[in-house]
Amino acid sequence: MSSAIIPVKKDIIGVSKNGTLDYTKLEKMLGDLVLQKEDHVNAPAFVIRPDAVEETLTLLRDEAGFDHLSCVTAQEYEDRFESIYHLRKYDSPQHELGIVVPSPKNNPWNQSASSVFRTADWHEREAYDLVGIHYEGHPDLRRILLPDTWQGHPLSLDYDQNKPQIIALQEHENPLQNNVEDNTMFINIGPHHPATHGVLHLKTVLDGEHVVAVDPDIGYLHRCEEQMCQGLNYRYQIMPYPDRWDYSSAGLLNEWAYARAAEDLVNIEVPEYAEILRTMGAELCRICAHFLAVGTFALDIYGDFTAIFMYAMRDREIVQSILEDLTGQRMMFNYFRLGGVVWDLPEPRSEFLSKIRIFLDSVPSGIQEYSDLMTSNEIFQLRCVDIGILSPDVARQYGVTGPVARGSGIDYDLRRDDPYGYYKNLDWDVVTKDGCDIYSRFLVRLGEVEQSAKIVDQCVSLLESWPEEDRIIQANVPRTIKPPADAEIYRAVEAAKGELGIYIRSDGTQQPARFKIRSPCFSNLSTLSEMAVGGLVPDLIAALGSLDIVLGEVDR
Amino acid sequence: MINFLLNTQTPLVDAIYHLLGFDGFIGTIISAFLAAFLIGNIMLISAGIAGPWAKRKITALFTDRIAVNRLGPFGLLIIVADAVRLLAKELIVPEGVDRPSWDIAPLILPFSALLGFAVIPMGGPLQLADPETGLVFVFAVASLASMGVVIAGYSSNNKFSMLGGLRAVAMNIAYEIPLLVIAASVVLFAGSLRLSEIVAAQADPLIVIAGIAIPSWYAFVNPFAFVLFLVANLAEIGRNPFDIPEAPTELVAGYVTEYSSVYFVLFFLGEFLHVFLGGAIIATLFLGGPAAPISSLSFIPGFVWFLLKIWSVFFFTQWMRAAIPRIRIDQMIEIGWKGLLVLSFINLIFTAVLVGVIA
Repeated sequence: MSSAIIPVKKDIIGVSKNGTLDYTKLEKMLGDLVLQKEDHVNAPAFVIRPDAVEETLTLLRDEAGFDHLSCVTAQEYEDRFESIYHLRKYDSPQHELGIVVPSPKNNPWNQSASSVFRTADWHEREAYDLVGIHYEGHPDLRRILLPDTWQGHPLSLDYDQNKPQIIALQEHENPLQNNVEDNTMFINIGPHHPATHGVLHLKTVLDGEHVVAVDPDIGYLHRCEEQMCQGLNYRYQIMPYPDRWDYSSAGLLNEWAYARAAEDLVNIEVPEYAEILRTMGAELCRICAHFLAVGTFALDIYGDFTAIFMYAMRDREIVQSILEDLTGQRMMFNYFRLGGVVWDLPEPRSEFLSKIRIFLDSVPSGIQEYSDLMTSNEIFQLRCVDIGILSPDVARQYGVTGPVARGSGIDYDLRRDDPYGYYKNLDWDVVTKDGCDIYSRFLVRLGEVEQSAKIVDQCVSLLESWPEEDRIIQANVPRTIKPPADAEIYRAVEAAKGELGIYIRSDGTQQPARFKIRSPCFSNLSTLSEMAVGGLVPDLIAALGSLDIVLGEVDR
Repeated sequence: MINFLLNTQTPLVDAIYHLLGFDGFIGTIISAFLAAFLIGNIMLISAGIAGPWAKRKITALFTDRIAVNRLGPFGLLIIVADAVRLLAKELIVPEGVDRPSWDIAPLILPFSALLGFAVIPMGGPLQLADPETGLVFVFAVASLASMGVVIAGYSSNNKFSMLGGLRAVAMNIAYEIPLLVIAASVVLFAGSLRLSEIVAAQADPLIVIAGIAIPSWYAFVNPFAFVLFLVANLAEIGRNPFDIPEAPTELVAGYVTEYSSVYFVLFFLGEFLHVFLGGAIIATLFLGGPAAPISSLSFIPGFVWFLLKIWSVFFFTQWMRAAIPRIRIDQMIEIGWKGLLVLSFINLIFTAVLVGVIA
């Protein structure tokens, strides 16, 4: 792969000549705004006043090129509340910076970042919902994951988990219905609807069949994953849970997100052989997930359980059985361990590897079949080309990542730009398309299946020739892991849907004090109204399908 | 015999009348009922096989699956199981539906389709009535279905149903006009609206290739009109790529959203009957009705050929369903008004010129 560091424009402050980030220059630029400098494991962080959020982030975005707010983490300490804004650059994701905003215990508040980054809208709503920090100037500070009538904030320290909650049924009202003149109609698309890919609820206002407003209502599949992980130990107990986030057979990619964050937190080196196994498994998962995305998207466009859907399922099934041979499970793999993987390839190795090879040989003809049936079909193009437009600028504002971003021409792929695993030693390409429409996103996914197959192919070659005595599948990892107290890390991997990040703060015990999941689907879904408003209901459905969301990951 | 309508012949009623040796007016009434019963049941059986079994099997063929194979030979007894299942379900009447129109709507759909079969020549004496205006009659009753759909959509008190009903109206207006205009070009060829005469006009050989006479079916005489009619017919019966009144992924189930149990079965049945009625119209207008494709095969009864032809059209709709994306409502209206309508008028004018020159 080409070097991860991409030359940046000269006028961006804080970048030294060799392309690395110079934090002293950044601190100088921000001047008085910085109260203190903290060291997180991934990158330094600046502590700022709660009323300086907008100013600081605007400066960093416009002057220093931090155009990607990947995550907002909120947490409560014994003596204060804290919001952390994890900033990155789309052009060089290795340039990271945390902005820490402490706020008083009795009145937790800070200025909202939603005027600087639109993605902060949803992220801050989540922080408000779960932790209870109030964001001043937020346009719409409602609960997002929990019902409106929920009492208390579950991740705050004084929350009583045993207190019963009463959730009243409320009818959703058309926000425009009092205005009789405009003839709009409020319609609930979901939570039980064939096209919502799970339990998603779209509060939609229609004018005729044109979408006037759409507000995704999420949280129906909220399973307290963050809180559960905070009650489990690093070494053994957390790993099975990531499989349940993006459960559309992308499990290994999620496991890698946790593994990467935890390994970097306590400095575990993963043996090369295990890295290859991880890379191969993860890319097989990506193929699986993209096949499912293609199939269900066909379902949305075609209408019924049609040929494409079944073909995609058939092809996915082959990969699924390979993964089953590798991990012992069909969906909830639990294959990664800190420092490596749980076991080596199944015996006989040659039989297993030839099974993968047979599948890889069928990939090009499979892709051709999808191209013949879908992308070259004129009706398909009528439905997809120039529909659901997401311009690169808007996509950046919403923190969009993954195939959706790459379909909008944003060349952002953490496998290449923030290298981990074995990717940097392999030969593959990042697929991007400039169409910014549904069609481009679809083409990106098809292209990525091909590239993933290419990666798997190289991994299989390496595994075939790997000397038997060097097959180390796990590093030496202590039985109990206790990271130093107050160590903080944010690490992300390129999951099937985009940047899947994990923030961990340790308090010196075996369990994380704060475990935050940055879900790519969550950020991607927040763009839905940008794409769908002004279009027709079928366009809304197609745009939703092209986002390829998995509600398990959106709601966590 | 009975001659309620002007210049109507009733071949099947006459045949039964003579077969059973009836006499007088009462005998006519009884034979008419028997004849209607026979025709109605032939079509209901077709739809009964098509809905629960053939549809599944055909879709499975297209999607690399096996489909029903547990009950009876080739899984055929699934028809019985499905019938029991569907009829045993609770009929849920949602609050706020507009009765009795909510109850009438499911009746209109199968009723209109069955009525259409009354004038279709199915081979031999198998034609209930053969009025001089048969073609007009069959289109008129087939369009009644849209009324049922609109009533269902409106009376269900459900926004998805409402949208489905409105889509159905928009679609039917956009596609029935081209459908009729294309049919009119066939009338120009045949010189009659009577369906038996349209069929008879297609019997002459068109050309003789290697000793085999190709009949002058209008599908061969005017393939352009045939293709146009096939497309417009897909919209008329609401199948992919024009299944937008139901559009499962957009409108849940469109106008059928609130219907369950027997009412749902009636809709289901009605839709399949309409597919077959569309097939019957295509067979009559373009495929020589019950005639055998080559004369050496005419020992096989015409009724078999007729069934074969309508099932082929059914197969075609299932093929489209498995392979073609659904088109968006506005694109569909556009194709209907700006594409098909124009093409169908061009077809009509050219046919008129052609018929004028030849005649």
